[in-house]
Amino acid sequence: MLASLEPLINGILLGGLYAVIGIGLSMIFGIMRQVNLAHGELMILASYLSLVFIQLLGLHPLLTFLFVLPAIFILGYLIQTFLFNRVLEKGMEPYLMISFGLSIILQNAMLLLFTPDARTLQTSLAIKSINVFNLFYVPVIYLVDFVGGFLVLGLLHLIMKKTYLGWAIRAASDNLTAAKLMGINPKKVYALAMGIAVITAAISGVLVGMTFTFYPHSGTQYLIIAFGVVIIGGLGSLPGTFLGGLILGVSQLVGGRIIGPGLQLLSGYIILLIVLTIRPQGLLGRK
Amino acid sequence: MLEVKNLNLYYGGFQALMDITLRVERDQIVSILGSNGAGKSTLLKAISGLLKPSSGSIHYDGGRIDHLDPHEIVRLGLALVPEGRKIFSSLTVLENLLIGSYVPKARRTKDEQLENVFELFPRLRERKEQLGSTLSGGEQQMLAIGRALMSQPRLIVFDEISLGLSPVIVQHLYQAVDRIKKKGMVVVLVEQDVKRSLKTADCAYILQEGKIRLKGNPRDFTEEEVKKAYFGL
Repeated sequence: MLASLEPLINGILLGGLYAVIGIGLSMIFGIMRQVNLAHGELMILASYLSLVFIQLLGLHPLLTFLFVLPAIFILGYLIQTFLFNRVLEKGMEPYLMISFGLSIILQNAMLLLFTPDARTLQTSLAIKSINVFNLFYVPVIYLVDFVGGFLVLGLLHLIMKKTYLGWAIRAASDNLTAAKLMGINPKKVYALAMGIAVITAAISGVLVGMTFTFYPHSGTQYLIIAFGVVIIGGLGSLPGTFLGGLILGVSQLVGGRIIGPGLQLLSGYIILLIVLTIRPQGLLGRK
Repeated sequence: MLEVKNLNLYYGGFQALMDITLRVERDQIVSILGSNGAGKSTLLKAISGLLKPSSGSIHYDGGRIDHLDPHEIVRLGLALVPEGRKIFSSLTVLENLLIGSYVPKARRTKDEQLENVFELFPRLRERKEQLGSTLSGGEQQMLAIGRALMSQPRLIVFDEISLGLSPVIVQHLYQAVDRIKKKGMVVVLVEQDVKRSLKTADCAYILQEGKIRLKGNPRDFTEEEVKKAYFGL
């Protein structure tokens, strides 16, 4: 009986990863009221970039963060400055179209550059498991994912609460006009927020690459997970996003154990629908 | 210190400001008065950079500012306490004040400025960990004023601070405005409340339908003149 704790524990751990996947999307919607449809592709781009550094320099996947994070940050900053900032304060449609186009471009670029073969970021962490009281096994990589998720969200929380950048980002999302009157440059703050959001996408991309296999088109499934996390947990709430990740992870693994492993995704989405019905703003979301 | 010259502004096909010319000298309290829709807030938005004029110019401290973005104007030392307060509802009182010191030169003195604001408005110190959205109207107005002060402005514009507030609170706010002026800041007051503004101001402008109808030292105005200018009779 206690062995059935396995999907629960693993679901919670995986949920930490899901939270990092979702937080980037949540940030951009919370701050700029925009949905970045290229979020999944930016994640997978990071996975591939990590692969390049592993093959070029023989690094351990976790060490590739040193190169991948700055690279993706710069990319995000540039995308915001040269693409998205041009349609600032013009509504949701232009942004959606740009981000959609970006996702197509990125997907096909990765297809061209890396071929459609399945890839992983090889690490012994993915093979090792921890034997929990001889009842079940927890893959070490899941533990790494959870700790990673916790650290990322914790760090973000500190930034939002204790730094001028964090206050500026929150102020801009509350009232952009008043934020301008504080001396906040909306274009610069949005570019920095986007940079932070894509860094979280990059972190989740590398973790995903170590945990699962990935393809050029994998971005889409993770975009959907991101949506799931944000919808369940609620917009504009860091603890909400963490909670959303955990619930989605648990729903998938526990549900998968109950109704069948092939229906794992479905069980996650059933929970999503339930949350949407009874509490549309998400469990901890602002109305 | 602040000069507006022949300002014209169109707002969605409609001319909101017509040939506005006004001056604010150092050590002055200037009042801009007018009824609803007279163009007061439009004028302030143009001064603070939120709206761009169609023709004419705005000068601050000798330099032209009408082409600048709002965040650049704040850095020059011109702060606006906006109409409707516009405080940040998901930030605490303390965070609202701290973001007020966002401009680089204000960051260094933020602790000192914070003390000054709490001294001016002790109620804010009591509520400093509360979310902005939980404050009463009067407290939100105090917060908006405090927040503007945190940017270390040399000229501060108050847009209709008495709106929707009880006379007791308004009295308290105006006492604060007086203390602010005594600290050496140039004050521009925009109000619908005519009596109070005319008592405190050194120089007043009355706007009606986008035009300046009366200007000068309010102590020289007759009641007739004021009524005529205000209502456009």
